[in-house]
Amino acid sequence: MNSSMINESNASTVLRDNAEVAEALGRSYAAGFVTEIEMTGLPPGLDEETVRQISAIKQEPEWMTEWRLDAYRHWLTMPKPDWAKLNIEPIDYQAISYYAAPKEGPKSLDEVDPALLEAYEKLGIPLHERAALAGVAVDAVFDSVSVGTTFRKQLAEAGVLFCSMSEAIREYPEIVRKYLGSVVPTGDNFFAALNSAVFSDGSFVFIPKGVRCPMELSTYFRINAQNTGQFERTLIVAEEGSHVSYLEGCTAPKRDENQLHAAVVELVALEKAQIKYSTVQNWYPGDENGVGGIYNFVTKRGDCRGDDSKISWTQVETGSAITWKYPSVVLRGDRSVGEFYSVALTHHYQQADTGTKMIHLGKYTKSKIVAKGISAGRSSNSYRGLVKMEKGAEGARNYTQCDSLLIGKKCGAHTFPYMEVKNPTAIVEHEATTSKISDDQMFYCRSRGISEEDAVSMIVDGFCKQVFRELPMEFAVEAKKLLEVSLEGAVG
Amino acid sequence: MSQPASLPLVESLLDAPLPISGIAWLDAARQENRAAFAASGLPDTRVEAWKYTALRALGQRRFARGDAAAASRAVDASTLKLPSADGPRLVFVNGVFRADLSALDALPAGLILQPLSQALLGDAEPLRFVLSRYYREAGDAFARINAASATDGVVLRVAAGVKISAPVQLVFVGAATDVELAWHLRNVIELGEGAELSLIEQHVSDTEPAQLATVVSDIELREGAQLHHTVLQNVAVATSLIRRSSVRLHARAHAVLHVLELGGALVRHDLRAELIGDGARFDTRGVFMPHGRQHIDTQLAIRHQALNTTSTSTWRGVANDRARGVFRGAIVVAPGADGSDASLSNKNLLLSPGAEIDTKPELEIYADEVKAAHGATVGQLDERSLFYLRSRGIPLAEARALLTAAFCRAVLDDLPNEALREHLSALLVAQLPA
Repeated sequence: MNSSMINESNASTVLRDNAEVAEALGRSYAAGFVTEIEMTGLPPGLDEETVRQISAIKQEPEWMTEWRLDAYRHWLTMPKPDWAKLNIEPIDYQAISYYAAPKEGPKSLDEVDPALLEAYEKLGIPLHERAALAGVAVDAVFDSVSVGTTFRKQLAEAGVLFCSMSEAIREYPEIVRKYLGSVVPTGDNFFAALNSAVFSDGSFVFIPKGVRCPMELSTYFRINAQNTGQFERTLIVAEEGSHVSYLEGCTAPKRDENQLHAAVVELVALEKAQIKYSTVQNWYPGDENGVGGIYNFVTKRGDCRGDDSKISWTQVETGSAITWKYPSVVLRGDRSVGEFYSVALTHHYQQADTGTKMIHLGKYTKSKIVAKGISAGRSSNSYRGLVKMEKGAEGARNYTQCDSLLIGKKCGAHTFPYMEVKNPTAIVEHEATTSKISDDQMFYCRSRGISEEDAVSMIVDGFCKQVFRELPMEFAVEAKKLLEVSLEGAVG
Repeated sequence: MSQPASLPLVESLLDAPLPISGIAWLDAARQENRAAFAASGLPDTRVEAWKYTALRALGQRRFARGDAAAASRAVDASTLKLPSADGPRLVFVNGVFRADLSALDALPAGLILQPLSQALLGDAEPLRFVLSRYYREAGDAFARINAASATDGVVLRVAAGVKISAPVQLVFVGAATDVELAWHLRNVIELGEGAELSLIEQHVSDTEPAQLATVVSDIELREGAQLHHTVLQNVAVATSLIRRSSVRLHARAHAVLHVLELGGALVRHDLRAELIGDGARFDTRGVFMPHGRQHIDTQLAIRHQALNTTSTSTWRGVANDRARGVFRGAIVVAPGADGSDASLSNKNLLLSPGAEIDTKPELEIYADEVKAAHGATVGQLDERSLFYLRSRGIPLAEARALLTAAFCRAVLDDLPNEALREHLSALLVAQLPA
């Protein structure tokens, strides 16, 4: 909230606004607490030795260590990217600690440090209850080590492998070796190379041929220790005819220094397989003055490797000081389908540059993109996307819709879609609009006794409906709540 | 980010001596831009503005500077004739003003129309603001070499309140020479308060040999001025043509631009408009139709900087054979530019498996009382429309031609000059695949 907005309100509403503003400002980030448990980790800094140490701590085989080192050497040769519409303080990669873990390695959920469990409790994810009641298996990542995995047995009966990445490297090296880096190569981009060198943990999912995963898989990520970048690595492989829905949610406690989060997510869908990947991202966005917050530089890519496969990304992005991510689909198999549904909300000084890439290689491939951006405060919100129809993409089809909603005069909303078409039978369509909440809509709601804040949240909810529809039920509820909380103090 | 200056093209363009005007500020600006060009060379495709237009092939060529015989080159008079354009005319051949081909007698009162080479002999001060510019952006190579090298061009001024009834015709001709030639022209156009002008800009050239031409234009519309500008680019397929047009619109000024991009080897047009006065309006309609191995790139950038400004853009692209069409349509609404209304549409047809279309509509919005929308499509003719025509006995090829022509003609619909509209339409149809 700034003074110019208050000045624009008429005199009678100023008092009420001020009270509301004060209340809104006083409300603190609900997930902003720090868990006091002892941490062990590597000292800040990055060199080949750091990479070797991480690999050693993880008891990784030789090939994995070499793989990391290759990525590290490649990373050293890469220039820092500067093309996005972002305002970034230079990151000192030597000031980051690349490995942090709770001191005692828990063996089961019962052994998990109660402080940790309490932390989840405050975030509203009581691990046991949530898992049992909601039928969701949770692979909770607390900083860098997986602290508890539930429903392993039930999944194992179905033949589904769901575990932490470090475990997978030890237990299923042949699968990991086959697929890791096959979608996002180690040298793909600056942050993917960094991640490949130093990733600490993440989730691994393998759905065998013909299996429909009996439950929705979910991971809650959490960044806890100060000055630790978190570098997850997620790999999901769906074999022929299999089906999986994966949920990822993020909250991070309050910090004043910017923290780096550079994850890599790889999805592989073989013939007729389907992967649905949903994210609610609520990392700490920094305070109302733009101090602190997470740098969220993520590479997410799916590969529809088999014919008739399908990969669907759904994301709700409300957090992080800077978000930079483009969940993409390579449509390699004939008739494969890629989808991207996104809501990105920015407030205060947040910056988001997000979108997708749909690379059509196979015949009769289809993709659909629905992106909704909401900017408030002094934030900047960009959609950046690429739709590419290669020569072989006979009869391929894309539809893209990008809408931006502006709340306030100091924010920015941008759209940068790239369309590259090399096949004369392909069809690409793109539409984008930018508008603010109209006075008519507000007047209609207000005349029916709906408060200003409620009206805005209702209108925003309607604006995002198309995307929320794609989310699993409990996520949809959470997403709606998140938008309300994130927009507090945006109107006045 | 740029290729080394050792490229043959860069070398050959720098080979010519810097023109000396004797005007201190102009010579300084030329020197500075030349130095910038020499230092940075040509942009490569990592420079965002040149992402889809590679200069590798062009960079390997050498062009001679200056055609000593430009004043006597024969030009087919029929190329200068346009229906409904029998008013004032300014003709340049290989970058040199040709009085014999121009029509500058009996200029209407309030119209100044002269070649830059003459204007600089008189009081050059009014041109100082535009001609002393230094080009800073990474992709500005051709603007730099143009600023360093151009010695001629159009100076056109319409006095405040004057309405010029007959269209003014500007013709830029590339005439055949023994060597492959590069030439540069610099245009300065200004409409005073409330002035009205209709302008026809033509680009033509002989089939052989290859040429490289750069044309940089600055167009200023003072308060309430109205400009109707039609551009017909129909150069031979051996000619590469790089243009930059910057339009500044003051309060309530209105510019309507119709553009036909038909010819050329590598054609690039940077069209930038700044709506700096309240209530200004900028409308563009354009079509690009590359075929063979042509590459036609249009970079449209519109900046809304004042209250209640409007822009509409309707662009069509048709790419055939192994040609490539590139379009960028960027709309920026600056902070405080409330009441801006911007819309842009770019529809494209791909007619052949070897052809490519790259399009990038962009919105950058920093104000909230704004209506902004864009749409872009790449595809084929509507199957149902084709079926409809065929079911009425029209052969497939003809039905295709008919629908493609209709697709393109949409951009000419609101061209008020009927004779010109028909002429342009005929040119469009002639370019369609048989």
